[in-house]
Amino acid sequence: MYDELIAALDAERVLQTPLALHVYGRDAGVYRGQPAVVVLPETTAEVVRVVEIANRHEVPVVARGAGTGLAAGAVATEGGIVLVTTKMNRIEEIDPDNRTALVGPGVINLDLSKAAEPYALHFAPDPSSQAACTIGGNVANNSGGPHCLAEGSTVNHVLALEVVLADGSVAMVGSAAPDPIGLDLRGLLVGSEGTLAIVTKILVRLLPNPPDVRTLLCSFDSIADAAATVSGIIAAGIVPAALEMMDQAITRAVENWLHAGLPTDATAILLAEVVGDTAAVEAEAKVMAEVAHAHHARDVRMAADDSERALLWKGRKAAFGAVAQAAPNYYLHDTVVPRTRLVETMAKVYEIGARHELQMLNVFHAGDGNLHPLMVFDASVPGMTEKVQQAADELVAACVAVGGVLSGEHGIGREKRDLMPLMFSATDLDAQARIKETFDPHNRFNPGKVLPTGARCFDLGASVPPGAWV
Amino acid sequence: MTAQVWRTDFAPTTAELNACVACGLCLPHCPTFRLTGLETASPRGRLAAMRGVAEGVIAIDDEFEEAMSFCLNCRACEAVCPSMVPFGRAMEGARAEVAAAHPTVGRGLRHFVLGRVIPNRGIVGVATDLIKLLQKLGPSLLREGPAQRSLRGLRGLQARPRRAQIVNGPRVGLLVGCVMDKWFGNVNQAAIELLDLAGYQVVTPASQTCCGALAVHDGNIKSGRRLAAANVAAFASADVVVATAAGCSAHLKGYDKLNSEGAALAAKTLDITELIARLIAEGALPRLPVTGEAVVVHDPCHLRHAQRITSAPREILAAAGLATVDADPDGICCGAAGIYSLTHPEASHQLGERIAALAASAATTTLIASANPGCEMQLRSHLPKGYRVAHPVELYLESIRSSSDHVLL
Repeated sequence: MYDELIAALDAERVLQTPLALHVYGRDAGVYRGQPAVVVLPETTAEVVRVVEIANRHEVPVVARGAGTGLAAGAVATEGGIVLVTTKMNRIEEIDPDNRTALVGPGVINLDLSKAAEPYALHFAPDPSSQAACTIGGNVANNSGGPHCLAEGSTVNHVLALEVVLADGSVAMVGSAAPDPIGLDLRGLLVGSEGTLAIVTKILVRLLPNPPDVRTLLCSFDSIADAAATVSGIIAAGIVPAALEMMDQAITRAVENWLHAGLPTDATAILLAEVVGDTAAVEAEAKVMAEVAHAHHARDVRMAADDSERALLWKGRKAAFGAVAQAAPNYYLHDTVVPRTRLVETMAKVYEIGARHELQMLNVFHAGDGNLHPLMVFDASVPGMTEKVQQAADELVAACVAVGGVLSGEHGIGREKRDLMPLMFSATDLDAQARIKETFDPHNRFNPGKVLPTGARCFDLGASVPPGAWV
Repeated sequence: MTAQVWRTDFAPTTAELNACVACGLCLPHCPTFRLTGLETASPRGRLAAMRGVAEGVIAIDDEFEEAMSFCLNCRACEAVCPSMVPFGRAMEGARAEVAAAHPTVGRGLRHFVLGRVIPNRGIVGVATDLIKLLQKLGPSLLREGPAQRSLRGLRGLQARPRRAQIVNGPRVGLLVGCVMDKWFGNVNQAAIELLDLAGYQVVTPASQTCCGALAVHDGNIKSGRRLAAANVAAFASADVVVATAAGCSAHLKGYDKLNSEGAALAAKTLDITELIARLIAEGALPRLPVTGEAVVVHDPCHLRHAQRITSAPREILAAAGLATVDADPDGICCGAAGIYSLTHPEASHQLGERIAALAASAATTTLIASANPGCEMQLRSHLPKGYRVAHPVELYLESIRSSSDHVLL
């Protein structure tokens, strides 16, 4: 297989040494899985050749961007070929009149917004990893980010995709028209985590930069007051561009690195941002400040200028990385709960952490109830990983119990695969598994991800009565 | 983790390696990742490789050596790392391990050159004369390539006799550096005159030597420690120590990592731009009227990333009456990186072309300021004729000298 891959690409872009396989054996999460070989194609034609070779040798193909995912979506947990898109990183066209851009899957999210800056446009999805993560990865995970509260996640910003299918053929799904005709395969493929096809080109929508912005930093003495402020702001009829909460532990870790003047003595801080015309954002910022004060905010501070605003966001977006100051490993989920249940869920989250004697830090997209309860630990302590896993499972169950969902934006990957039955009935999972089978009958693309073993009804075996139609 | 795989007391520590949570925020800031798209050429990948060695699953072989030596050690990753991984330190440790595990003739020669020859002023003097000769003959002898570019980078360099007046201010020790005196004499001279003007007593102890950064970056810890010990003794009586090369000041500030006696020197070291900017802010040095001229500011990695200094050179240039324009807001390494242009000429050249294009397009001026000799030479190598690259303190002193409508102090 190696020789065929070298012939299809070139020797420099086919990696098979122990060191390379080792470093490509993980993403930013906790799962490990070593590939047999790593390839870095530059063109759609090369991706096709790789898929054909994988088919001949019956090995998995796992697509990978920058490897900033947290759910092992880009980890070769079942071996095979890791197909890295970092060299497919050309911004082929920015069309300022139609507000679109055609990009390779390896283009870094923030690089696209920087390239669109001269036209006063930007790519709206802004995951915390946006400085590093690729747009291909955003498409795979239907990534969100702080500003998806108002602007929606990646699926709302993808118009069309060029994809390589499991048989090696190249298909185009969606079109430049905002409302897709025919079956909406574009909507189906966005968020499919590399299990249905390999994305090779992406036509994205760009949004105009807002004329003005106000960013408030509100600090509170209790999580409950901060959470109530979130509900209060939404109830006041404001749709903030972003509404983020950080608890004391995470604020301290970030401040220790960033020195942005974050209030480290507050129990919780809220970062609230509104965008629009100057008059509108001023009025909205005033209302948000009033709501915060009504919920006993001890301080409400407005970012004085762009650089202060950038600093506050830098702190928020670096929060995950900063936790290594506390312990070498972290594990988090990204469950979503109804905003109205935030207060009680947060209490439950801390309770679970305390019961398992795990340090729990919280930084999350409060505006849409997308939690990121984050546990820090040292995996080299025997039994610790199991303990964390147990606490994590309880966390997810608690969130689902109040009407929440498994994942807001990080994807299911390998990590949350076996939790899918918490959300979906056997029939629901079967419907998803049929889609997977249709696109990828030989389970070539990213096997072992998203759908639990037995998702297909006939996998249930004994539970299906003999003679039943399945 | 099994620590016994390491051979030296300078190896990456478990704490240093554990500090990385693999979030990947460093990737876009890494010049070699930007060039190649390879995880193995990224800070996260390099740390994973080091951790692989510590765990006993990766060997210290040719591949590991290349993965470590392909790094520019620009430390851009360190500045953006929210986990505060001391990457530069870990990389120096990994290189020391490569050197210990894998002695080669080439590295032995490099260690000799960087540990013994460069710190020897007599040899540097002779070498400089040879370079002068080559510069005269060079264009006809050499084809376009790394050597030709290196000669171009050394264009216009000059030695100047140092002169220090003894006054009764605080004692500031000036690290004259291995090549600064011979090739960048103007910079050391400007530093001395400015400090003089501000009432400092500048001392340049004869027993000082090369800071040792080049040796340590190459994994030659033994020489690094020897040179550090000599400087610690030489500057024992100085209140403050300054270096005019950002690479040197950054390295002096890390002396505490080399040996325990280094901590005091590390704590009292400032880059020359820090001290001059402070003296301007305190009013000890003048702010000159705006000239209307612009200067493109290039941030050396070991100033911007390793020491997190960006405002000082801009404040100095503003005090010189110049309008500053940024060369590269992303702060990607220019490719000079000590001896990197010799060990990895192709990657170095690509990064050099990039920064030269950015600097040339940033403003209409042909004046570029950079506070590190390696970067200055790299810029000269890659910019077209007609550009001038100089240290901020040089430009500031020139403004003071030429300012006729200003009464000095």
